Amino acid sequence: MKFNSWFVSSFLISFIVLIPVITVFASFFETTSNYYEILKNTFLVEYIFNSLTLLLSVLLLTFIIGTGAAYLVSFYRFPGSEFFKWALILSFAVPPYIYAYSLTAFFENYGTAFTILKNLFGEANYNKNIPKFDGMFGAILSISFSLYAYVYILTRASFLYQSQNLIDLGKNLGFSRFKSFFKVILPAARPAIVAGLSLVAMETLAEFGAVDFFSINTLTTGIYNSWIYFDDLAFANRISFFLLLFIFSLFILENLSRRRAKYHFNSKGGLKQKVKIKLFGINAFLAFIFCFFIFFVSFLFPLSQMLYWTIKFPENLFDLEITNLVLNTLYLVLLSSLVLIIFSLISNYGNRVSNNKTLNFLSTLSISGYAIPGVILAIAFITFIAWFDDSIIKSFGFSSIKKIFIGSVFGLVLVYFIRFYSLAFNGIKSGYEKMNISVDESAYLLGYSKRKTFTNIHIPFLRNSLLFIIILISLEIIRELPITLILRPFNFETFATTAYISASEDLLEAAAVPSLFLILIASLFIIVTSKYILRENNE
Amino acid sequence: MRRNGERMKKVTIFALITSLFVSTFSIANEVSVFNARHYKADAELYSKFTNLTGIKVNLINGKSGALEKRIISEGADSSADLYITADAGRCGAMDAKGTLQGGLTSPAIKSAVPKTFRTSKWVGIAKRARIIYYSPERVTGAELSGMTYEGLADPKWKGRLVIRKSSNIYNKSLVASLIKNNGKAATAAWAEGVVANMARTPTGNDRAQIMAVAAGEADIAVANTYYLALMLSGKKGAEQQEAAKKVKAFFPNQNDRGTHMNVSCAALVKGAPNKANAIKLVEFLLTPDSQEHFTNNTFEFPMIDGVSPSPLVVNNLGLDFKQDMKTKLASYGKNQAAAVEVMTAAGWK
Repeated sequence: MKFNSWFVSSFLISFIVLIPVITVFASFFETTSNYYEILKNTFLVEYIFNSLTLLLSVLLLTFIIGTGAAYLVSFYRFPGSEFFKWALILSFAVPPYIYAYSLTAFFENYGTAFTILKNLFGEANYNKNIPKFDGMFGAILSISFSLYAYVYILTRASFLYQSQNLIDLGKNLGFSRFKSFFKVILPAARPAIVAGLSLVAMETLAEFGAVDFFSINTLTTGIYNSWIYFDDLAFANRISFFLLLFIFSLFILENLSRRRAKYHFNSKGGLKQKVKIKLFGINAFLAFIFCFFIFFVSFLFPLSQMLYWTIKFPENLFDLEITNLVLNTLYLVLLSSLVLIIFSLISNYGNRVSNNKTLNFLSTLSISGYAIPGVILAIAFITFIAWFDDSIIKSFGFSSIKKIFIGSVFGLVLVYFIRFYSLAFNGIKSGYEKMNISVDESAYLLGYSKRKTFTNIHIPFLRNSLLFIIILISLEIIRELPITLILRPFNFETFATTAYISASEDLLEAAAVPSLFLILIASLFIIVTSKYILRENNE
Repeated sequence: MRRNGERMKKVTIFALITSLFVSTFSIANEVSVFNARHYKADAELYSKFTNLTGIKVNLINGKSGALEKRIISEGADSSADLYITADAGRCGAMDAKGTLQGGLTSPAIKSAVPKTFRTSKWVGIAKRARIIYYSPERVTGAELSGMTYEGLADPKWKGRLVIRKSSNIYNKSLVASLIKNNGKAATAAWAEGVVANMARTPTGNDRAQIMAVAAGEADIAVANTYYLALMLSGKKGAEQQEAAKKVKAFFPNQNDRGTHMNVSCAALVKGAPNKANAIKLVEFLLTPDSQEHFTNNTFEFPMIDGVSPSPLVVNNLGLDFKQDMKTKLASYGKNQAAAVEVMTAAGWK
């Protein structure tokens, strides 16, 4: 075992990321009041039932939408197919909570749908005939139409790898298009689909904004509520335990599918350009309609609802300090990306040079941060700092360190770091996996120091992975809600927090302006990098 | 020389890093507000206060739960001076957790706010009532005559009532006041009656309840006073303005203790670094100018005498109703846990 500086730093990083998990489990041993004991069991059953309903419905919907769209744009040419190829990723720009605002704004009594009907057909009470998309159903739609892009991107990438032979195989066997889709194409893309779905699953279980907006009690909002309102850490931890069970099984599933995925993706024949089948007549029309419907519902609909409200209530536009919000968002994005990239590089490199089993195990555990809902991370972080400050720092007679961590940009970025570390770590890891260890050995033979090998050989080689990670992190941070909400400093807002706060105060129309800007900024970002997002996955 | 340069470099870096944190420690003439009321009007009042006194108001906006948790975790080192939120039940619950301190007892505060609406640790800064809205087309005067909160459980309202979820703080406080007046057992039976009368599973905010009556989904709704005025003001668009005209307001319990009242409250946080400034800010919020600003923008009732509510409130809701001055608002926080228990047991979603 070599305890060099690389080892120590990557050990420290893993440890920091693990702090929230340790905190949650450590508080298992705290005593609490048993006032709600009778009610807890009712709650717990409801939380689990709601989480399961939400999870399964979202998985089903994102599977149908994601694989359906990926199949169409990967194998066929039809009007708009080149456009939809990247336009379908735009749904990433609309976080579930903004989708939820749009659904409510459009379908509520006397909402936008009512206005449209009134303008078309004159005065009447249309409210009873307008379907209401709220509660559980609303949450399912909001999350699905925002997250299906995970399944779409990964499945599409895997379809591109499938050699033409597979499609020909179906044809040769005399299968119909539907039959070869289900019997040949889908099974071959299974690892990618599972990987996409498990990302969807983790985000769904961690979802806070939309679920809270529709006031549905899931495990995540349940943890938040019992912690916050009942001050009942033990109950919160009992729920966390169930949630972690869910998440760990997903985690294992995802890892298994990824392991299998290697066999498929490494085949060299996969890179051959396929000839897409041109669709005609009714088939071309149906394919177009399917893709357009998804594009419309997932992106155009929330965008236009927010735009409509911004125009209808323009006074809100002037109330917003837009420059400030843009600067705050950019500041957080830049700072967090920088910190995440630097430390994930160090940690990955530390793993590579020290090749230590304990460290490997720690890193694997520490990437679980992504699976833990932001709300819980933020609360656990505050709990930990408060404990650390009260029982350690103060016992040595130092002054309180709470203000350095709680309500500061430093603390905020630190928790972002914990939450998104796995995105950065895994991204760099997969980059490193493509690079044989013999490259390092050759470098050492040439007299390169470890540091020189790192800066002159590894960094240039990893450039593409790094860019992709920055894109992902930036999108996540632009949309991030619960951590920012709980930990931000005084007088510091982002588009996400402004929108959420207006919405929770029954000022949905005021939430429209920041929501619109959030969508526009994220869309711009996606459009600029879309070629990259799509290409990266082909490699 | 070179070593000196190196050292200078290190010192500069160290200074830069510390300056990142130090800004939070700087001593200034300021007051830090944890604010769970996000009305635009409030922000305008705070900047007025700064112009008048030179005291900077630091704001952190957020949902009450998260703000409360942060105040509790920061404990004695809290950066918060004042916690401002929109329900006496929340201020009461914070008091019960030992996170507040006494001190809001200046003559200015005591003379402005009636005893029912304050303690030494928190005071009401604007009033609202939680009342019944009805459809004049479908509800007769005879049906409503002598109507009380207790009467919401009357089987004659079966399938005709809409009200928010039990997790809503306004409902928790309303039910807490019923427990205070009628006892827990009677309120438990009442909650079951209310659930049996519901026209739909609770969904949406207070405004959505009023619109449900306008749209014909239900005949009566329970919601706060300022929502109807807000809809009538046109700030929510022409459709909601029209919808609001289809419902009427009714103030319950006029023949006994009076209508259930609630407040937006300002609470003094334990360990507040700027306690004196915090008290000044509360006093400022209770001046006639500030109160008028509240009433015209948020459509709440003024906390102090001598200020009239917005004309929209006066004309459409009426003014001369009997307020419940008997039930101390401090009881909302105390009975909150029991209220949640009662509603949950009744199957109130």
